[in-house]
Amino acid sequence: MQWLLTLETNNDMISICRLMNIFRRKSLNITTLTLSARPLGFSLMGVVDSVEADIDYLFNFLRRTEGVQHVTCYRHEPFPNASFVFIDSEEDNSGVTRVLEAFPESKLIFASHGKYLLEIPAEKRRSSASVGSRDTAFHPFACVRTTRCAPQAELAAVQA
Amino acid sequence: MFFGLPGGAVLPLYDALYSAGIRHLLVRHEQAAAFAADGYARVTGKPGVCLGTSGPGATNLITGLTSAMMDSIPVVALTGQVPLALIGKDAFQEADTIGISLPSTKQSFLVRSAAEVPGVIQAAFKAAVSGRPGPVLVDLPKSVLMETAEANFPPAAGPVPSESPHEWTDDDLERAADMILESKRAVLYVGGGVITANASEELRELADLTHIPLTTTLMGLGCFPSRHPLSLGMLGMHGSYATNMAICQCDLLIAVGARFDDRVTGRLNGFAPNAKKIHLDVDPSEVNKNIRVDVGLVGDAKETLRALLAVLKRRNIPPRMERQQWLQRIESWRSEHPMTYDKYANNVKPQFVIETLSQYASEDAIVAVDVGQHQMWGAQFWNFTRPRTWLSSSGLGSMGYGFPAAMGAQMAFPDRQVIAIVGDGGFQMTLNDLATVVQYRVPVKIAIINNRALGMVRQWQEIFFEKRYCDTDLDFAPDFVKLAEAYGIRGARVEHRTDVADAVQDFLSDREPRLIDFWVDPAENVYPIVPPGASLAEMVVEPPRVLVEEEALDDLWAV
Repeated sequence: MQWLLTLETNNDMISICRLMNIFRRKSLNITTLTLSARPLGFSLMGVVDSVEADIDYLFNFLRRTEGVQHVTCYRHEPFPNASFVFIDSEEDNSGVTRVLEAFPESKLIFASHGKYLLEIPAEKRRSSASVGSRDTAFHPFACVRTTRCAPQAELAAVQA
Repeated sequence: MFFGLPGGAVLPLYDALYSAGIRHLLVRHEQAAAFAADGYARVTGKPGVCLGTSGPGATNLITGLTSAMMDSIPVVALTGQVPLALIGKDAFQEADTIGISLPSTKQSFLVRSAAEVPGVIQAAFKAAVSGRPGPVLVDLPKSVLMETAEANFPPAAGPVPSESPHEWTDDDLERAADMILESKRAVLYVGGGVITANASEELRELADLTHIPLTTTLMGLGCFPSRHPLSLGMLGMHGSYATNMAICQCDLLIAVGARFDDRVTGRLNGFAPNAKKIHLDVDPSEVNKNIRVDVGLVGDAKETLRALLAVLKRRNIPPRMERQQWLQRIESWRSEHPMTYDKYANNVKPQFVIETLSQYASEDAIVAVDVGQHQMWGAQFWNFTRPRTWLSSSGLGSMGYGFPAAMGAQMAFPDRQVIAIVGDGGFQMTLNDLATVVQYRVPVKIAIINNRALGMVRQWQEIFFEKRYCDTDLDFAPDFVKLAEAYGIRGARVEHRTDVADAVQDFLSDREPRLIDFWVDPAENVYPIVPPGASLAEMVVEPPRVLVEEEALDDLWAV
């Protein structure tokens, strides 16, 4: 199963080195990884292939790792259930335009090096689904766990 | 109080130490500094501090930090570093200390200016003790140490409180209580987390209230009295027959501050296969890591046990009689295969030495062990009465740990009896610090369980590698008695069983560092043993006598 992880760390590069080492030691199967610097820290986004039990463990491990401020874990979901869309347009310059056309009024969660994670407003999810389903570059996800103060209702059930 | 060894990069720090009034113990190798800091932390519950210079000084600390990481021990390591301008330029005694320390520490800091120092030091101590404790490293470039800055301490400077918020709900506690009250064959499985959280009293109250027998991991030894009627001793690879059988047949396992380590569980699908499981742990990533559990209670062990006790006390606790059948079954396993050894042997049995040391040691004595057979015999035969008295590199299993850890513990409690029980192999890794105990008059008692071999490795070669003994023979070793005397320490050797008791009493009779070299039976092995990859139920309880008899029969036929 495919999962998307976003992490925010403090502004110490040692925290990023530690995370990379954790990914290596935990044998994480990473298919996409992007790192970007923020004024007060670093943001990291990765798409990984894993079974749910391992992701549960990884989420808990990361959230108690020193230097990590926030972790959010998204699970790949069919479009009608997805509230987030990931697009990797590294080799396609039309990516941003397509994203904006397909998902108007979406909230940009993460953007770096042609990789975007958008949150689709609840009222737009149904209409976006038909657009998103047609384009294989759009990968739908649902947020399942986060260290942010998200109301439980906004999190997709952990058990599929 | 801290443990260290100076060098070029930390000269400014030692210059400040000259008039700082902070006690420093000069060790003879930085590994001993890290182990001593670990020992200090285990007995006090406060962070231990060690220091090494840049490059080799820092790398020599790494084994000790890794051991502290595995066992969740709060240690703060200060390391020197080359001046900021030289970092990354392959300067003299430069090492990527931060890079090397990443997997061995909970957090690492590189200080870039003197102004950062107070904040970083405070953050380091906070990280070391918060949540699940662990080692933290602060790398101090020489240029920073030579800067002058206004000491600007953060507002919360002072004793650092630990932060261990709990994540359970009242419903979780109610579910756990239901499971406890419904169970007929429950077992408490307890690890070092209880000692870290100073939760031994709450644990004992839970066991007494519910009449549930209790087993500990190697890390948990001491948190529950060995002679308590509900004590099952240690479980796992070298756990007793009764304990491992109880785990195999229990219907409820309550894990407290334990991490389902492979040495404990054996083959995972054979570990408490028919039991529901409750797991209390401060680290959320430990819950469901190795074993799926029915209820996870993430939080500090003391706080969580108190909350669980409060829920249980509102319920009707079944009388002890309801668990009597289960307790009797465990007792019958204990009678079937007691933890014992040949008490009538002519030679010195290592288990007898441990029992005798335990018998004559003070009630609050601290015992530090190395790693190997003697460590397991210590775990099996020492009479534990209180927490924070057992020091063992349990997760990493680092030989050479026992003696310096004992030194650190003794510095924390100068008036208590501290005994290092070490193997002849492990002691040869850190014996250079005999100079340290003499210099500082640290009255550590060193008992060498000398079988002239790397005993545990030899045991595995014997059992699992068809007696193909390869490089486990330590016959070429120094005369430890003469070696001790060379350092100015009284030494003695014991080679006969009948001399053990008198020798031990004399050994423990004064307040000086002493060494005693017990020449034990080199053929003695640790039993029971769960073979690697096997389940606890497949433990080998005693030496394979059948094979010995078959060999004898072969010899007879040959004649």
